[in-house]
Amino acid sequence: MDFLTFSANTLCLLSLIALVFPFSSFLVILQLKKSQGATISIFNISVSLIASLLVFINVWNSTTLQQQVEWFQVGTVSISAGILLNNLSVLMMVLVSAISLLVHIYSISYMKGDENIYKYWAYLGLFCFSMMGLVISDSLLLIYMFWELVGMSSYLLIGFWFTKDAASQAAKKAFIMNRIGDLGFLTGLMIIYSQFGTFDIGRLFNVGGLVDSASIINGFWISESASVPVIWLTIAGLAFFIGAMTKSAQFPLHTWLPDAMQGPTSVSSLIHAATMVAAGVFLLGRVYPLFDSIALNTITVVGVFTAFMAATIALTQNDIKRILAYSTISQLGFMIAAMGIGAYGESIFHLATHAFFKCLLFLAAGSVIHQLHHYKEHHSLEFNHQDIRLMGGLRKQMPIAFITMCIAAAALAGLPFTSGFLSKDAILITSFEWAEGYHGFKKLVPFVLVLTSWLTVFYIGRLIFKVFFGKSNYKGVKDAPWPMTRILLILAFFSLFPLFSVNPLSYDNSWLLQGFVPAGVKPFDIFHLLVPIIVTGISAIIVLISYKLYGGTATKQLPENGLLYRFSNRAWYLDRVYDLLFVRSITALSIISHKFDTLIVDGLVNSLAGLARIISDIIHWFDRHVVDGLVNGIASLASKTGDFARQFQTGKLQHYLITMLTLVVTFFIITYLI
Amino acid sequence: MIPLSHFMIISAALFCIGLFAVLTKRNAIQILIGIEFMINAAILNFVAAGRFDRVAGGGQMFALFAIVLAAAGVAVALAIILNVYKHFRTINPDKIDTLKN
Amino acid sequence: MNHLLSFLVFLPLVAALVIILLPSGFRDRFKHIALGTSLIQFFVSVFIYLNFNNSAAFAGVNKESQFQFVEKMAWIRLDLGSIGKLEIDYLLGIDGFSMPFLVLSSLIMFVATLASWEIKANLKAFFALLLLLNTAVMGVFCALDFFLFYIFYELMLLPLYFLIGMWGGVRREYAAMKFFLYTLFGSVFMLLVIIGLYFSVLNPATGNHTFNMILMMDPGSYLGSSVFSSVAPQSLLGISARLLGFIVLFVAFAIKVPIVPLHTWLPDAHVEAPTPVSIILAGLLLKVGGYGILRICYSIFPDAAIQSAWWIGLIGVVSILYGALNALAQSDLKRLIAYSSVSHMGFVLLGIASGTAEGVSGAVLQMISHGGLSAMLFFLVGMLYNRVHDREIANFRGLALVMPQYTAFVVIAFFASLGLPGFSAFMAEAFSLIGAFTSQEVNGLLPRWMAICGSVGILLSAAYFLWTLQRMYFGQTRLKGGDKWLQQLKDVNTNEKFALVPLAILAVLLGIFPSLVFSKMNASVLAFIQLISG
Repeated sequence: MDFLTFSANTLCLLSLIALVFPFSSFLVILQLKKSQGATISIFNISVSLIASLLVFINVWNSTTLQQQVEWFQVGTVSISAGILLNNLSVLMMVLVSAISLLVHIYSISYMKGDENIYKYWAYLGLFCFSMMGLVISDSLLLIYMFWELVGMSSYLLIGFWFTKDAASQAAKKAFIMNRIGDLGFLTGLMIIYSQFGTFDIGRLFNVGGLVDSASIINGFWISESASVPVIWLTIAGLAFFIGAMTKSAQFPLHTWLPDAMQGPTSVSSLIHAATMVAAGVFLLGRVYPLFDSIALNTITVVGVFTAFMAATIALTQNDIKRILAYSTISQLGFMIAAMGIGAYGESIFHLATHAFFKCLLFLAAGSVIHQLHHYKEHHSLEFNHQDIRLMGGLRKQMPIAFITMCIAAAALAGLPFTSGFLSKDAILITSFEWAEGYHGFKKLVPFVLVLTSWLTVFYIGRLIFKVFFGKSNYKGVKDAPWPMTRILLILAFFSLFPLFSVNPLSYDNSWLLQGFVPAGVKPFDIFHLLVPIIVTGISAIIVLISYKLYGGTATKQLPENGLLYRFSNRAWYLDRVYDLLFVRSITALSIISHKFDTLIVDGLVNSLAGLARIISDIIHWFDRHVVDGLVNGIASLASKTGDFARQFQTGKLQHYLITMLTLVVTFFIITYLI
Repeated sequence: MIPLSHFMIISAALFCIGLFAVLTKRNAIQILIGIEFMINAAILNFVAAGRFDRVAGGGQMFALFAIVLAAAGVAVALAIILNVYKHFRTINPDKIDTLKN
Repeated sequence: MNHLLSFLVFLPLVAALVIILLPSGFRDRFKHIALGTSLIQFFVSVFIYLNFNNSAAFAGVNKESQFQFVEKMAWIRLDLGSIGKLEIDYLLGIDGFSMPFLVLSSLIMFVATLASWEIKANLKAFFALLLLLNTAVMGVFCALDFFLFYIFYELMLLPLYFLIGMWGGVRREYAAMKFFLYTLFGSVFMLLVIIGLYFSVLNPATGNHTFNMILMMDPGSYLGSSVFSSVAPQSLLGISARLLGFIVLFVAFAIKVPIVPLHTWLPDAHVEAPTPVSIILAGLLLKVGGYGILRICYSIFPDAAIQSAWWIGLIGVVSILYGALNALAQSDLKRLIAYSSVSHMGFVLLGIASGTAEGVSGAVLQMISHGGLSAMLFFLVGMLYNRVHDREIANFRGLALVMPQYTAFVVIAFFASLGLPGFSAFMAEAFSLIGAFTSQEVNGLLPRWMAICGSVGILLSAAYFLWTLQRMYFGQTRLKGGDKWLQQLKDVNTNEKFALVPLAILAVLLGIFPSLVFSKMNASVLAFIQLISG
């Protein structure tokens, strides 16, 4: 295999190729318009996959590579951009590019006939680019950038059918809710930057790196350059966690994900099940050394609670994609909880297995939806082709979809011989081991997780039995075309154990897990034996129960009006609560501030102007009547006098003489009198 | 002997008559006559007062001088009146008010 | 080479004269003359950009010798008897703070001229005034003599008043008057401070009082007993004279920025102004405010600036949130964008108030970035308004189907404005916030919660932009004007692309390579920080 061994520079170049090719398909396809979209993007993503695989072979378990260039300088601080390749990032690279490729191929037939299909390919290219960038970046700032770009491409793809109101609203909701998480992320960035003056993940989180060497003394978190109250360390951890919560759809910021199912199913499969939603978990993995015990406890609680809550909601949903969406949330809860209890490797392990089987679940569901949609259009019927209550008996009509979906469901349920069994067991057992050392509520964690996994078995069983068993309503529905089903088969293989571990019943030997957890460190304890047996046993019973309930030809109707049923069906009324609590209050606040602006602020300005006008009117009056009046008065006095004197100017000689006489006489009289 | 006051009264009366004529008459000739009355009233005063200056006879002298001046004045005045008449076609002073403008 | 700045400043004035002298038979050529002028200016400014020396020896800020492309001539020398000799210089020069604005100005002027294609009435006056405005704006960014600065500063008002008042919308006279009075209010008091400064500062070389800004930044050149002396602080009306002077200057410039609560002229002026004037208003006029705060308020009164940093930061945060909330409530697209300007300019204040290199760099980048983006946004609104004479958000729906390319530009502009990484606004806002956050650590000026509250503005901006996008552009097409509008709503034409593409490129370039601006001004930023931190 020597010819496959590359130097560090080549590896970085390869990962750049893996990054840039999908982006080029975004640019090129938008330029070309309408033609060649599929060819270009599949070619590019294949290149990306090959490059990722080559990088993977070289880096996995052998080395950690970081190469960077100076990006820009702010003040005295130089911000670099670069690539960080370690086990986590190369695994994600392969995962992302592999699933992307599969979904790309699947989409050719799934999206056939859509008039804006070129945009679809372009957006997928953008998504792959941003996801790749997210996983290989070596700087938190870069990760943040790609993080938001992922959100943007998700926005574009959810709203791909933008003429549907529900789709464009869901896209908006997804982006805005993700923005809340971005704020958390940004706050984390700010704290990191002000504490350490860099975004470089290598320098920050390596063993002996800046975070490692920062110490906590007397309630202060002290780094080389700064010292802040230790609460900021907790806040930093929680801030990053809030970022992760939105992308990974954790309670209470998960409500965008079920709505995001408005996008094409292939998109839901790639973005909202396999890759993007895992970005939150990935982020937690990247900044893991930052979390202190409070942050970790919060992460655990949120994860466990989300897993449980989403599972209860999934129990009663009727839209096939919504069930899967809630199951995704639930599984992400597992991963987050695993992160919280310190099961870093197990969490990543579950992320990898989940990516495949959840992708498969969606794609298989997609093939069902696709076929029913065509059936509906062909027969010009009107029904909701995503409602599992209207499906049934598709087992014989769509055998490939049935078989593959069963495998994926088994993986989701954690039944043996599947990949899901390995990773879920890993998390459950680790959680039991972890809870050993604690008292109080932490003891509950493993039990809630186990309960959740049983709930999982139930709802996925309900889905399978309702869709594929019972009586078929639609005659003549066939399996999806080969280009789609072959993808299902490939993914079905990936959902089984061989890809991850040679031993189907024990995760300990999984190469993937060993890439993160040093082998042989943990002692073999009783949980390794008990947990799989008990959990699997009861799961099997639950499968039977759900078959009894939903699998028969004459399905029994469960009561659908209980308080709990409604609570679950309406997704714990969270959307309603958020709408009242946040959307309306912010809208109201904005209207109030607008009123304030126009009435008070602008009113003040206008009334000042009005006041000035009133004053000026008064002054004008004064000026006109008093000041000017005085001047005019003097003038008119003069003119009046003139008028009076003019009367004597008759021009007649005798009048003058009389005047003279009168004056002389008067003069004499006056002198005489005086 | 006639006392001085009688002359004074007579000349004052003459002066007033002249003044009245000057102020009221509508004919320039009559006004001129009025002026002559007033001059003669003055001359009468001169003559009457001349009694007190027997040595030099200043009163008589001034009277003669005034008579000559009055004659000359009348000649000039008549010439003016003649010209006025030529110009305005009237000698009524009421109608001649070019001084006003 | 030595008179490049003068050329840049007075070229439009010459062009304006040419337009005035040309007979009206050439009326169709006027716009080409204006466009050619701004193109030449653009190339000259790019030439200046490329030849700009960004080493620390040319940092500028408070050292006249470090300024570049300096032109200095004695302009007015008047013997005033016992008061001394009036000394006003014709002093132009640029440093890292002003240079980016020259490039921005010429670009915005180019776009504004392209947007003037729609103007039909009284072309001669319009283009002459536009070019006059161009001269004034360029002059403001180059002038280093306070008197000269003030002349250019006031000169901006006149053409703007007429441009809004004569070519504006229905309530144009109200808007023009409001705008004029608001700005005049600020600048009149500014004049008082200028005179006070004049009598406080001596030019050590000549022994005369001087208007030289750079000398005003040097505490050593103040007379010991003068009003604004920094050696022996005086007090006026019970507060420190220097603080008072700072506040007056700050208010004068803050009206231009604008800050809450001195912002209400902005929405009115924007709504009534014709598109090119909106572009210039948002793209350049607001920046003059921010530039003035940096170049004048902070540099001349650093002590007072440090003293009031907390309040300035607070004003910034309030502007961010208040502007964003108001934008959310608007029903008129142009008003929405006007309020979003208030919000975005709040980041500038926050960044400057932080007094950190990150914050100040972010603030300047934010001004450049917002200059381009707001021009783009107003241009886009103008396109819609030109076609159907309506801007009500509720009257449009599903425009993406009717005008796909137009919608693509709108999406770019909206996402860039809401701070999507990869676009300039993100870098700018992120560094303004980071600066504000680190401030407590570095110099203790701003508390950390300000940065965190400010970042909520980013969330709100996503809310109002995306909501608008969803309401106007997505969904099934439904227009108030029905089929008539459908006919009128043509997609982007070549001319408009010429205006939009450069702005989009600017946003992307600065988003990916912020060093295009950062590297040029880094030395100046550091010198500035040095200056204000004493």
